[in-house]
Amino acid sequence: MSDFLQYLISGLAVGCGFALLASGLVTIHRVTHVVNFAQGMFAVVAGLTAGSLLSAGLPHGAAEVAAVAVAGATGLLVGLIATGKPGTSAQSALIATLGLGFVAYAVEIMIWGDNPRSHPGLRGNVEIAGAFVQKQSFLVIGVTAAVFAALLAFFTRTYLGKALSACAANPYAARAVGIDVTRMGLVAFALGGMLGGAAGVLLTPMMPISYNSDVLLITNGFAAAVLGSLNRPGLALIGALTLGVAETMVAGYHEASYQTVVALALMLVIMIWQSSRRTALQEETAR
Amino acid sequence: MKSLSRPAVAVAVCAAALLAPLLLSQTQLPVYIVLVLAACVVTGLSMLMGYAGQVSLGQAAFFMIGGYTAALISLEELPTWLGLAASPLVAAAVAAVIGVPLLRLRGHQLAFATLAIQLIGLNLVGQQEWTGGDIGLQGVPRLRIAGYEFADDRAYAYLALAALGLIVLITRNIVASRPGRGLRALATSEVAAESSGVPVAAYKLAVFSLSAGFAGLAGGVYAFYFGYVAPSSFPVLLSFEYIVMVVVGGAGTIYGALAGATVITLLLQLLNNIGTMEGMPAAAPTVLSYAVYGLLLVLVVLFMPRGLVPTVTGWWERRGPARPSGDGPASDGAKKPDLTPTSA
Repeated sequence: MSDFLQYLISGLAVGCGFALLASGLVTIHRVTHVVNFAQGMFAVVAGLTAGSLLSAGLPHGAAEVAAVAVAGATGLLVGLIATGKPGTSAQSALIATLGLGFVAYAVEIMIWGDNPRSHPGLRGNVEIAGAFVQKQSFLVIGVTAAVFAALLAFFTRTYLGKALSACAANPYAARAVGIDVTRMGLVAFALGGMLGGAAGVLLTPMMPISYNSDVLLITNGFAAAVLGSLNRPGLALIGALTLGVAETMVAGYHEASYQTVVALALMLVIMIWQSSRRTALQEETAR
Repeated sequence: MKSLSRPAVAVAVCAAALLAPLLLSQTQLPVYIVLVLAACVVTGLSMLMGYAGQVSLGQAAFFMIGGYTAALISLEELPTWLGLAASPLVAAAVAAVIGVPLLRLRGHQLAFATLAIQLIGLNLVGQQEWTGGDIGLQGVPRLRIAGYEFADDRAYAYLALAALGLIVLITRNIVASRPGRGLRALATSEVAAESSGVPVAAYKLAVFSLSAGFAGLAGGVYAFYFGYVAPSSFPVLLSFEYIVMVVVGGAGTIYGALAGATVITLLLQLLNNIGTMEGMPAAAPTVLSYAVYGLLLVLVVLFMPRGLVPTVTGWWERRGPARPSGDGPASDGAKKPDLTPTSA
């Protein structure tokens, strides 16, 4: 029982990290219809930056916030390059973000080398009903909850958030009422970068990352987001938590090396199940 | 390519490809073989992306299946030619089976699904005892067909060329046929193709299996040439590399596939040579190749969305002296559905 509780809480924490990544993916996809393959890269950049800033002597908190800001700026840059040129289709933009991921590899190896790195998070464990849970897990869950609450408020209460939602709902109508859809796309990319960065900063103390961790991060983020067809943040959150818990349970009770297989198989099943409820006509007219 | 005429270009390319193994040095031949094998995979992927409009981010998985098939059969003391013959068949069969559910997905969903298939495949292969786990299979015997042993690099260069020749021939005939036109139609709009009587699902599955078979054949040759296969020989990055080759060369054209594979392989080799020169830091080759990969991919996608070959031939036709009016766009029709059609 104590094992179960331990796996559950650390699984939820990992899932929260995926949820942040997935929500960045969803934000960008809703507004720009681009699937951002560089989403995992934002997490890697932020995680590694936070580590460097901490070892440079910045206090906890400041280093993490700065790293998230760096990830946001990276997101803005990726958005500018991938969607800045008029007439770039969503599929071309996906390939462009893939290419930007490669460029990021080069930069990351130059700055941080190619070994996995980690930075210290909250130290120590908490004992709950016989289970020892890392304090960092609670931090991740708490911060994610706060971020999601802030996102909800941002999208429903602020002008910028409403404008973003308008672009997501109907870009043509949004343009007609004077919203700059291209600029909103860039805002979405910056926001996506910050969300990915938050995931990276929070997860790095729990699982060391290296430059090529982005492939696994993006597949997990995508797997979570796909539950809501990349459009619904709430479902992405549920998907991410399920995924995190399922992976941790498989790793805990069965074998660690199978955890990604479980996540990927789950993603495939959900995608195929969803596709059986859609016709080609619906998809082609939806774009 | 009006002023040069297509047959002349084809003959020139064939002659260059056939002569190259005789002229290249011992150190250059391995690069040449890798180049030709990449061209085999990329031709299939280019057809899948350009003609059927499907992006596969996991093409190296089928390359891996081909390699492991050839290695496993040869290590069982069965005839080695059987291993080579089985590698494309097994890869195509696997693709046909997983393609049924997978090809219901489109655009980015299919891209991620194929990536997932490769990650799952790598993970499983790395854990099984009969595949040799992470260490892989060592000591694959030399290929022997009808008593002739493929012993040296030159023999493998011609073997790889023969595989590529077969693949190009098959692709060319399919593209020029009636199903080929059906494929082009479905890359533009599945609904329109379906309503004009194109069996969309069957065609997509056929092209997916065929491109997997091509990759499998290349994998078989790879296994015999290098003598070992391991999960680390088929990383996800290899799949991305094939995508880069297709996009840079130009999806949906055979010349584009060949050019893409050639340009990228030679560029990587050049960067590797520069990176390993004296005085360069240890990470230089990797940094350089990633940076150039990425920049090339981004620049081509943004500024040459149809790829190198279609862009250059289009430019050539426009500036050519014998300028047949209104002919350009008509011959472009085949190459146009590159990345745009399946945007989701």
